[in-house]
Amino acid sequence: MIEYVIKIKRKNRSIFKDRWVWSMAWRDARHNFSRLVLFVAALVVGIAAVVALDSMNNSLQNDINSNAKELLGADLVINGERKFEGELKAKFDSLQLPQASEADMASMVLFLNNGQSRLIRLVALKGDFPFYGKVETQPADAYSKIKTGKFAMLDESLASQYEVSSDDSLRIGSSVFKVSGVVAKIPGGGGITSTFTPSVYISMDELDSTRLIQYGSRVNFKQYIKTSSEEETTQTLNNFKPFIRKNGYSYETIEGRREGLGEGFNSVYKFFSLLAFVALVLGCIGIASAVHIYAREKREEVAVLRCIGSTGWQAFNIFFIQIFVLGLLGSIVGSLIGIGIQQLIPVLLKGVVPFEISTGISWKSVGMGVLIGAVISILFSILPLVAVRFVPPLSVLRSDFSPERIVSKTKVVAIICIALFPIAFAAYQTQSILTGVYFFLGLIVALGFLTLVAIALLYLVRKFFPYNAGFIWKHSLSGLFRPNNQTRVLMVTIGLGAFIISTLNIVEQSMLSQVEFTGRENQSNTILFDIQPHQREGVIKLMKENNLEVNQVVPIITCRLSEVKGKSVEVLQKDTTDKIPNWALTREYRVTYRDSLHNSEELIKGELHSKKQSKDSVWVTISEGMEENLGVTIGDSLVFDIQGVPLKAFISGVRKVEWPKDPPNFIFVFPKGVLENAPQFYVTSTRIKEQQQANNFQQQLILQFPNVSLIDLRLILSTVNELFDKLGLVVRFLALFSIITGLIVLAGAVINSKFLRIKENVLLRTVGARTSQITKITLIEYAYLGLFSAFTGMVLSLAGGYLLTTFFFEIKFAFDWKEIGVISFSVIFLTMLIGWINLREVINTPPLQVLRKEG
Amino acid sequence: MSQAVLEAENLTKIYRSAEKELMVLDHISFSVKQSDSISIIGPSGSGKTTLLGLCAGLDVASGGSVSLMGFKLNAMNEDDRAYIRNQYVGFVFQNFQLLSTLTALENVMVPLELRGERNVMPKAKELLDRVGLSGRLHHYPSQLSGGEQQRVAMARAFITDPKILFADEPTGNLDEENAYHITELLFGMNKEQGTTLVLVTHNLELAQRTQRILRMRGGKLVDDVVGRVASNY
Repeated sequence: MIEYVIKIKRKNRSIFKDRWVWSMAWRDARHNFSRLVLFVAALVVGIAAVVALDSMNNSLQNDINSNAKELLGADLVINGERKFEGELKAKFDSLQLPQASEADMASMVLFLNNGQSRLIRLVALKGDFPFYGKVETQPADAYSKIKTGKFAMLDESLASQYEVSSDDSLRIGSSVFKVSGVVAKIPGGGGITSTFTPSVYISMDELDSTRLIQYGSRVNFKQYIKTSSEEETTQTLNNFKPFIRKNGYSYETIEGRREGLGEGFNSVYKFFSLLAFVALVLGCIGIASAVHIYAREKREEVAVLRCIGSTGWQAFNIFFIQIFVLGLLGSIVGSLIGIGIQQLIPVLLKGVVPFEISTGISWKSVGMGVLIGAVISILFSILPLVAVRFVPPLSVLRSDFSPERIVSKTKVVAIICIALFPIAFAAYQTQSILTGVYFFLGLIVALGFLTLVAIALLYLVRKFFPYNAGFIWKHSLSGLFRPNNQTRVLMVTIGLGAFIISTLNIVEQSMLSQVEFTGRENQSNTILFDIQPHQREGVIKLMKENNLEVNQVVPIITCRLSEVKGKSVEVLQKDTTDKIPNWALTREYRVTYRDSLHNSEELIKGELHSKKQSKDSVWVTISEGMEENLGVTIGDSLVFDIQGVPLKAFISGVRKVEWPKDPPNFIFVFPKGVLENAPQFYVTSTRIKEQQQANNFQQQLILQFPNVSLIDLRLILSTVNELFDKLGLVVRFLALFSIITGLIVLAGAVINSKFLRIKENVLLRTVGARTSQITKITLIEYAYLGLFSAFTGMVLSLAGGYLLTTFFFEIKFAFDWKEIGVISFSVIFLTMLIGWINLREVINTPPLQVLRKEG
Repeated sequence: MSQAVLEAENLTKIYRSAEKELMVLDHISFSVKQSDSISIIGPSGSGKTTLLGLCAGLDVASGGSVSLMGFKLNAMNEDDRAYIRNQYVGFVFQNFQLLSTLTALENVMVPLELRGERNVMPKAKELLDRVGLSGRLHHYPSQLSGGEQQRVAMARAFITDPKILFADEPTGNLDEENAYHITELLFGMNKEQGTTLVLVTHNLELAQRTQRILRMRGGKLVDDVVGRVASNY
């Protein structure tokens, strides 16, 4: 025998030059749209989430840049808790620049039209504020009117809540004002702050007539300055800085406001974008899962192609082209949907952000979405598609033939890229490599934990399989272990969506429980403050007349620090090596005196020292955390400036304080026998059970003691609820993307197992199963899947929620079984719904059609 | 004397599992000359299909060697073997193995398109006409009967003018009438194109139409009979 032509002259054609693979990709795709649509859907949802958030962030940053001037209302603002006096006042007076003044404080307002009252932020204005932006009121002359006398204008939300309109009257302190109108927009106002404490605006000239400013009143003063240029702002600021620092004042410039807002929203954006990232990661899992099943189904076809001469790469390229082109189309569609969703987000965020978010399209975000979509469709499909390259042609003869495992270079590179992608993407989203790495690790831990829970749960089900249960229950449970059912992947993806929503709920519940003590029996829910010594007995009497129990009457003394550990505050301020923050040195402290611990306190270091004799040293306790800020420990000395009188004290102990519990609580607590003669005011608390009782009491209080303010903690609770409702809506909206992606993965798995299910059901019907029985079996199977997924997510969310609340938010872990139950039930319901949609075709397929096919 | 297009020498195939080794082909040697037709027969599990797979380059032998058109298949990688199959080999399978997403015409065109050839449609149409399916060009496999599908598979196998055609139970899934038509087509086209035919079958009647019959049992070649030997089997 002659051996001829041994060397093969085979040319490898690149994917771009091989016309055959492109035409095969098209021909094959024509009939696989239903399956590939799922792949695209997973991608579309993930990309839509990312683009919506990124585009909104770009709009937000643009808005902040363009609105910063209008938000501040001036070029420079000097803030202080004390009236601007002495040198600083002289400086203001000598400044040849346009200025305006503001004083704001907490106060009660009584609406005379309906007798209702509430705590508000009273803002007294003087001068031509604002220098930038404008005050939008209804009617338009409301603002100019307040400058003319006893007129007040109020926030829109407050006016509508208490049904107040122009020409109604309200009482603030000792004065009655006529309502000139409502404020729709004012520089520095609106947004989330107005939700907590709505504002009432009056003229500064009328402030004294209210007689609200008394000893202990906490008033914030602001001086607005307009300059002609940034240089002038810097120059003016430099001029003021020494006085500002010395007196513990602060300042704000347009640039500072811009940065502050930018940082604030950047944190929110980071959080939201990470939620979008989770949706994208789930989308990636969906892609990988869909392509994996797709590639497996294509094995037979590939084996035939290889038989007739296709190379492994050619077979791979056919499907790669399909995935890539559809991925690109999906990314474009996802980006466009993302832009559509971006138009919705400002509606959801209305009232949270102090300005209107524009809905301009960010083409940069669209480009990024398309690019990311293309990258992930390649990255996450390569791994399952690589298997196509190694389909043995022998499979055409023996369908059960399985080749040895092959480790290909492509596979290794794909795995490395897949591992790097989430880090790179999270780093891009958060603009920090470290955050990216942390988030990636967090995601790995979450997915790992979810997988472990899913494996453990399935193992337990197998181990304790209910063999004695009824046929329907047993058969539907065993359906979870059907080959290609992807039960574990589904549990992880749907579980991850449930985990996000549930964790958010736990954090929300934990935060709410911090203020919910007001609902508990015998706990105070109303606090009265700014009670002057001569009003003390009168207020107590009024409370008793209204059948209100006086839970505590606490004396409060205002003071400042003048020395810490023997060093004066001035020296400490100049000492750049000292790490004591300026605010801790210059702030006004509100202290009290007592010889025992309050029920919200626990002594964690040292002891309580009571003063037995007048010559004894004064020993005070300090709250945990503040000791670190001031850098003091037990035995260290402090000198307090109490209304001009210096008082030396030593730290005797450190108290751990549960601040929200039974207020008021204090940083410094003095022993009895020291401050009794110092100027002081009182705070008292009580529990009001009914709204009517609250209204009556508040009305009498305002009329008799106009300067005394009242905090209704129930109102705060409802405000916190409202805030969570607003923020929660956005977060839930974004978490919905994860759920949708999880459901897409589920729908994919359901569709892919359809034929198997049809066959199985036909066999059951052949041996006599009724349609109702098959329906029950299928629905129960999906109920099991939903239940296990929800359980997987809940276990992780309880663990995650505990860690988050305990170590990150440092609040007590709390959750509501009912809410967790609702989330779990929703997951189960949605899973069953998809199963039911699929079930209709399964049931409607005639048995003979399948049996013939099989035969 | 015509040259051997297929030559097997001491061909061995062993499947290894954790517990044991299973020798499914035990030192098989034979050769097939240009334009010859042979059939491989034997009971189930005798190694017929494994032998066909090795000869067609669909699998790699554990020992021995296979030369196809002079190319030592053992020394080649899978993509090179695929190239050889595309250039010289045609296949007909028991379960037709048409690509379900392609029409009949597209299925037939694929092997030539894979070579990079253009304007292949006329030839594909001509072949489909030859097998009696000119009216079914744009039908998908699911819209064709079993006999029609096998005729499409035959047209696909012959479009490259293969030097050698491997057929694995080509009538195994067909009724008597369709089996007859397919057999006539197979041998008719084989004769027209001078193709070498290697046929694996249980069907003795079909086997007897080949020039030579190899009989296998337990992975061994137990008989190699030339000529019409129907009565002996």
